[in-house]
Amino acid sequence: MLTQQIFDGIVVGGTYALFALGMTLVFGVHHVLNLAHASLFMWGGMAGLYVVTALGLPFPVALLVGALAGGVLGIGLDFVAFRPLRKRTDEFGPLVSSIGANLILLNIAQQLTSAQIMGYPFGTFPAVTFHFLSIRMSLLQLTILAFTAAAVLLMGWYFKTSFGRQMRAVALSETTASLVGINPLGVYLQTFFISGALAGAAGVLVGLAFNSVSFLMGEPILLKAFVVIILGGLGSVRGAIIAGLLLGIIQTLAVSYLSSELSDAVLFTALFIILLVKPTGFFPGMRRDARVVRQ
Amino acid sequence: MISLLHAFLPLAELAMIQCLLALSQYTVLRAGVFSVATAGYACLGAYSAAVLVTQYGVSPYMGIAAAALVGLIAGIVLSIPLALLRGTFQAIATTAFGEVVCAMALYAEPITQGAMGINGIPKVVGPLGLLVALVLVTILIVTISRSGIGRAFDAIRQDETVAVSLGVNVRKYHAFAFAISGTIGGLAGALLAFNTYSIVPEQFGYIMVVPVLAAVVLGGRVSVAGPIIGATILTILPELARPLAAQRFFLQGGILIFVMVYLPDGIVDTVLNRIKVSRSARHLVLQPQPRSS
Repeated sequence: MLTQQIFDGIVVGGTYALFALGMTLVFGVHHVLNLAHASLFMWGGMAGLYVVTALGLPFPVALLVGALAGGVLGIGLDFVAFRPLRKRTDEFGPLVSSIGANLILLNIAQQLTSAQIMGYPFGTFPAVTFHFLSIRMSLLQLTILAFTAAAVLLMGWYFKTSFGRQMRAVALSETTASLVGINPLGVYLQTFFISGALAGAAGVLVGLAFNSVSFLMGEPILLKAFVVIILGGLGSVRGAIIAGLLLGIIQTLAVSYLSSELSDAVLFTALFIILLVKPTGFFPGMRRDARVVRQ
Repeated sequence: MISLLHAFLPLAELAMIQCLLALSQYTVLRAGVFSVATAGYACLGAYSAAVLVTQYGVSPYMGIAAAALVGLIAGIVLSIPLALLRGTFQAIATTAFGEVVCAMALYAEPITQGAMGINGIPKVVGPLGLLVALVLVTILIVTISRSGIGRAFDAIRQDETVAVSLGVNVRKYHAFAFAISGTIGGLAGALLAFNTYSIVPEQFGYIMVVPVLAAVVLGGRVSVAGPIIGATILTILPELARPLAAQRFFLQGGILIFVMVYLPDGIVDTVLNRIKVSRSARHLVLQPQPRSS
């Protein structure tokens, strides 16, 4: 029973990690907390559903299209909400304009879907289950795990390439990076595309796993992602993955042994305490000062 | 005429409650604190007032006073840990505070009736009561902002390091800002409960945070008129243009982005700054006065 709960938790945590990875990446490079990430997730889920139901294409295509939709929207978001504010140093502006962009994307989705909750048609994904060491695992859960692992490995490799080095240079200092011949514009576009694509893919996977796609699907996972990125350290990629998996396990256990309302309270109290004890998180990353610097 | 008034009054009530919430949000932003805890205070205030009145038979006015007190205490308690954090981290921490308050309101079912919410709250606050509360709170805030506290808030918001070097006790003034914001938030929550018969936990979540923040951003974060004008515009605009009512989120989001990009100081503060600049320019060019007030 316990091992089953932990396995389910890891699967849920994998989707949290995928979602939070994009958010922490954008924070690491831009120092912007992108609250519109939730609607990229939701639009990815919508695009995946559209591909399966209206076009009748198989699920892998839906995953690809969902990721692509999230990525393109992410770039659009950068152009509309963040680029005009880049020269200013305060963090209030980008955060507020990302809330605005989130509302706009939410409203469009609400109008298009008439605020309905939609689901995937039966048989979109083969309902196969395996039994291994008394753990029951479905093919979908294994797919989610495999996809998360692949995305993480790909990100790890990408960070080691020249593009990854450019990204880290821009994260440290945009001016210095452009002095040594890096084009910050390209780096910004790449980070927003990768971040959006991860969110979109997570949207398709979560939409299929719970078989429910609606315009409000982004908000709960956004609140969970706050916990993940703070626990893992804002801007830390490794931290987001570990914290995401950890949070999935904790949440699954809390829901089954406590109650679902109380699990939220426990989660956000924990977030509050982590912020006070160690606001930079437990894993080093591309981070900045959270506390007051002066004495 | 009467029918027009009937159509207008509920909207005015809504606008005044939004104004109060926006004033609560404004107080912290003016002091340079990026707290979004107003919805949490409102939730605490609304529930404590509603529970006291419906279950313990306390008089509604005592309930309102108790709600303001609960908000005050919540603000002060919250200010102690939050003194360690700045910027985005404050926003996330206060978001967590709001979520914890909402989750507790859902969970503590014997007291708060959980997801059902509390119904049958006596309607004791009409438009007149709201107006009185709004005027009193506005007077309070204007008085505070003209005193040394207001100047300290401005100094901290503009540059915290400079403020510290001038001898401003940042921790103390941040605690002040949290306390004022909490009191107004709790009061607004109680007035909301006594104005609308029923409350549910969900209405105090993210869905309340965003319009309140939007109102302050739209109006301005420095002058007291900013949040009031911002909240009024955001409440009344979708109703004036009826086709826009379904696109309320779109409108709010568009305003947030537009204001952040083109009017980062908000409507009221931009206008006031213009007036100030043109006035001082006129003094310089035409008649240099020995002492300008």
